[in-house]
Amino acid sequence: MKLITEKSIAGQRCATIRPLEVKTETLEKSFLRSELKLPEVSEVTLARHYTELSRRAFGVDTGFYPLGSCTMKYNPKINEEVAGLEGFTHVHPLCEEEDVQGCMQAMYELTERLKAITGMDALTLEPAAGAHGEYVGLMLIAAYHKKRKDSKRTKIIVPDSAHGTNPASAVMAGFEVVNVPSDENQGVDIEALKKVVGDDTAALMLTNPTTLGLFEKNIKEITEIVHNAGGLVYYDGANLNAIMGVVRPGDMGFDVVHLNLHKTFSTPHGGGGPGSGPVGCKAILKDFLPGVVVELDKKGEYVFAKPSHTIGKVMPFFGNFGVCLKALAYIKTLGAEGIKEASQNAVLNANYIKKGIEDLYPTQTGRFCMHEFVISCDKLKAETGVAAMDIAKSMIDNGMHPPTMYFPLIVHEALMIEPTETESKETLDEAIAVLRKLHKEAYENPEQLKSAPHHAQIFRPDEVMAARKPVLKG
Amino acid sequence: MANYLTNTDSQVKEMLSAVGVSSLDELYADIPADLKLKKLEIEKGLSQQETLDEMKAMANKNTDYKVIMRGAGAYDHYIPSVVKYLSSRSEFLTAYTPYQAEMSQGILQSIFEYQTMICALTGMDVSNASVYSGATAAAEGVLMTKAGAKTEIIVSDNVNPRNLEVIKTYISQRGMTVTVIPSKNGETDLNALTAAVSEKTACVYTEQPNYYGIIEPATYIGEIAHSKGGKFIMNCNPMTLALLKTPKECGADIAVGDAQPFGLSMSFGGPFLGYMAANDKEVRKLPGRIVGETVDKEGNRAFVLTLQAREQHIRREKALSNICSNQAHCALVAGMYLSAMGTEGLKEVATTCLSLAHYAAEEFKKAGAELKYSGDFFHEFVTVTKAKASKINEKLKKEGILGGLELDKNEMLWCFTETVTKADIDKVADIIRRA
Repeated sequence: MKLITEKSIAGQRCATIRPLEVKTETLEKSFLRSELKLPEVSEVTLARHYTELSRRAFGVDTGFYPLGSCTMKYNPKINEEVAGLEGFTHVHPLCEEEDVQGCMQAMYELTERLKAITGMDALTLEPAAGAHGEYVGLMLIAAYHKKRKDSKRTKIIVPDSAHGTNPASAVMAGFEVVNVPSDENQGVDIEALKKVVGDDTAALMLTNPTTLGLFEKNIKEITEIVHNAGGLVYYDGANLNAIMGVVRPGDMGFDVVHLNLHKTFSTPHGGGGPGSGPVGCKAILKDFLPGVVVELDKKGEYVFAKPSHTIGKVMPFFGNFGVCLKALAYIKTLGAEGIKEASQNAVLNANYIKKGIEDLYPTQTGRFCMHEFVISCDKLKAETGVAAMDIAKSMIDNGMHPPTMYFPLIVHEALMIEPTETESKETLDEAIAVLRKLHKEAYENPEQLKSAPHHAQIFRPDEVMAARKPVLKG
Repeated sequence: MANYLTNTDSQVKEMLSAVGVSSLDELYADIPADLKLKKLEIEKGLSQQETLDEMKAMANKNTDYKVIMRGAGAYDHYIPSVVKYLSSRSEFLTAYTPYQAEMSQGILQSIFEYQTMICALTGMDVSNASVYSGATAAAEGVLMTKAGAKTEIIVSDNVNPRNLEVIKTYISQRGMTVTVIPSKNGETDLNALTAAVSEKTACVYTEQPNYYGIIEPATYIGEIAHSKGGKFIMNCNPMTLALLKTPKECGADIAVGDAQPFGLSMSFGGPFLGYMAANDKEVRKLPGRIVGETVDKEGNRAFVLTLQAREQHIRREKALSNICSNQAHCALVAGMYLSAMGTEGLKEVATTCLSLAHYAAEEFKKAGAELKYSGDFFHEFVTVTKAKASKINEKLKKEGILGGLELDKNEMLWCFTETVTKADIDKVADIIRRA
């Protein structure tokens, strides 16, 4: 398919603006740039180009998207309408508080609800994404230890099953990373943890359910071990969709948590952003929060308050406000009971698929998974040559988005499946049937799978060439 | 009240029995009973209709300013209908990061086109797929320049204070320091800058136009930065690049900024769109996603996420940045906006902003206001008035006009875009005259 720049015909125009009503101002020649080349297209060319691009994109609205760890749930359309209300979009961020009471109310209401869901005492909406939230959470931890003059605490403990952002965020916040292995049940190895915690431990970062989709049963003991050593415990909210209304990070002993509104609260993902990564914390950390928080004063007016020992700002204004509106609309509609049902059904749907395929694809047995589970194609690969990647690519031929591949790193030939609560039994049955069929085909006709996809926009792209001889613009 | 679930009670029962349990609660057997939440303390669910009503009521509580004469990092521009409608196609909105190239060519190509247009505007060799905001782009750009003993950032005090705050947060744990030098008549003081740069200087960070709207002597700033081996980072309002010298032409190593003016509404400050572009030499230090062109096994044109060896999911603690998601949908909007405007259209928008601002400055002067600085400006400028800024803004509010940002008791930072009419400006001049 041609690039929009390749469809450009000099002189074609699309959007137009009001003719200039005053004298044209010209700049001194020394200020001026050389030639500018942007696409010049008519509106119909533009409309067809982007419609074609949209047909070459696959979203939750296109089909089943069981991408583990990403919570690709249905994105209610009311979210878009709410965020598009002119009373919200046409608001400048640098206004007097009296002019933006509606925006501040939205921020306040969302903050209160997210505090209730996570069991935290305070929360900021400023971080723009999950990784940004991780960074903020860790900066709070750094500021906390620094204020207590506990300067030895330079290490963040991260399980070997963690998301790559965890160690990367820890380094961004100035920490060293200590990896802790998983035990035979693929939870945190308590003995190994005890060995690594000490007076240099700033915090432990954890997601619960773990990246294997299992609830960490020993969570209370784990958080106590870290607290007893003087460290704090960080909750990566990537997997919150399993437990809303059932159990809260705050009650498990976590001190700080980041959420992913684009995952758990349906805002949607937008092809990779914009997201939003609010950070909640216990009272001991609230004075360090970034930017400003909204408070409700005695007169019933919303006011901004700057935390007394703030880590500083991480976004120019109040974070991705438009995304926050979508999350608020979602939570308002679901309410307390709907939120819990969402999590319960996410867990049911995952267990239902797991049950339907676990005789063919080895996974954690004997325990219920939470909202997702990880299968291994290690045995399949050894016996047929068909790898996790080949199963994934073959799912494309069956009209489904592949699961997350090769994560977590501790499982060989891993595929991580997260169906979410909004998928119907019919869709899940179809997914089960496809995965069973592919398993059979792997033994009968492995080449077919190894050369998949056969019915896609493109076939396997040459990623090595892309990296060796980068072509990064048209 | 709405939960977006799809299964009926009997289907749920069927599924529970297939899994081997009789209730949803049994699936949570691994969670210790004493940890379980008794009651989630949030309101009951509303119908969609009620939710929309409540949210509309909230939106209506905000003051409805019909005319915005304020910028300072957030800009009110006209958004063509074609951009609004096409960008809201749900295939774009509901897709994830394009990990699976075979079913994400549309998203990948839209980012590739965005990168192409950012390179055209900035003149730089490479662009990433975008970051959270212009401020975080600036901060990430600054972190790219740390090298050995080169740990100092030099900025003039005429940069956007919010950008500077974000930079300060980002470097606070990374062994870098920032030195702020005083500006002269609103512009970067080249003598002070020359005196400040040293072997320790990792970079000089400049905004174009600067916070007060003045066009900076960027080429000279770049030369001074390079004189001691430091890098030169320019944060440009990309709308002004329709006319102004590109960062490349000014000698910048890294160009950053916020592309919100390209089709994104102000939305109380977000989501915005941080762009980052750099010279070829810096590409492996550039954080975030990058889309590249390649071919598939049949030789067809294909787009993929590339140079991933820089990134957190491969490098973990050795990664240069923790960035995972970008602002993909905002980048799509910006690419669409630039295509809708085209070369001539974008120049026309920029020229309109420039011309209206200069008309406004003249009219405000005639009405008794003074310009605080004498340097050439683009579409923002600072006035000093006898009347209090707050008093002027109060009067403008009654007319549905959001006036300039109050920098001091009598100082206002104004911004003019194509959304403002001559009549609006004349009305404001009249109010200044009578204030």
